[in-house]
Amino acid sequence: MNTVMINRVDEAQWQAVADEQIVGHGDVSQRPDGRLFVSIDVWQDEAFDPLADAMLGELPGAVLHTLVGGEDAELASRWQRAGFTVERREWEYLMPTRTEPAADRAEQAGENVTILPAGTADEQLLRALDRDVRAQVEAAVGWHTMPAELRPHAAEDTLIDPSLYAVAVLDGQYAGLIRVVSRGRRARIGLLAVRAELRRRGAGRALLRHALATLREAGIDTAWTEIDQSHTAATTLFEEFGARRTGHLVELVRRPH
Amino acid sequence: MPRISKGLEIEGTVLECLRNATFKVELENGHQVLAHISGKIRKNYIKILPFDRVLVELSPYDLTRGRIMYRYRN
Repeated sequence: MNTVMINRVDEAQWQAVADEQIVGHGDVSQRPDGRLFVSIDVWQDEAFDPLADAMLGELPGAVLHTLVGGEDAELASRWQRAGFTVERREWEYLMPTRTEPAADRAEQAGENVTILPAGTADEQLLRALDRDVRAQVEAAVGWHTMPAELRPHAAEDTLIDPSLYAVAVLDGQYAGLIRVVSRGRRARIGLLAVRAELRRRGAGRALLRHALATLREAGIDTAWTEIDQSHTAATTLFEEFGARRTGHLVELVRRPH
Repeated sequence: MPRISKGLEIEGTVLECLRNATFKVELENGHQVLAHISGKIRKNYIKILPFDRVLVELSPYDLTRGRIMYRYRN
């Protein structure tokens, strides 16, 4: 292959050209939380490094993230060669909506928990709950370890669409929430969170059971979610409901020197 | 300025989900290819299912391989 030439096609896209053919694409896009994610796809291994060099050189001072399939060690290695380091790993789960956990676990689903179906919670209380759980996460493991935010929202308004959230009420208090987005036969559980001081009382399990039952009634057989591999409580809960791992993702990050 | 050949892009239907984010796709010309998902699809957490309509960019070096660039809304 002759020398690879790199062209910046527009603000967000690059092309690698060799032998008068496009042999690679580069792309950068911003997540709703402000993080910049880059991706590179090449047909020739030799095109990766020059493409990465050009992109990184034209994005100086930016903290850059990328996602790589856990099975693709070669691609992860290329990003590491470009100065990226592994930030976190997450499991991808596919879960049936028809599976109930074993009876002894089912009993832990919180007798004192009341579920407010999506669209029925008090919006102000829901927003307060959302702010509180995010602050608790930020003070502990950090929000960057949470599932990706894929829908746009204003910086100060992380509650993307109040009608998508079901809420668990425990002892009269808004204790936890779950956000499920479905379109056609696809459903994604984007967020399941419980106030730190009210955990281990069945609110999370009750929320998940409610969400799966709602999807089942809507004729949706399966739902996706992603969970950080270090969150063993979350992985255990989802696996109790029959979630199976379908793959894993590695997030790499490059910080400016 | 030399002429740059754009990659061959063709629509198809996903027949089967294989391991490692690989899919068997039947193209609209009847040929079947093995396709990976693009980085853009991956970073946007777009899930691919059997019967999905997708846009595949074929490898310029092996027309039996491709990359899923876009999933159409059914």
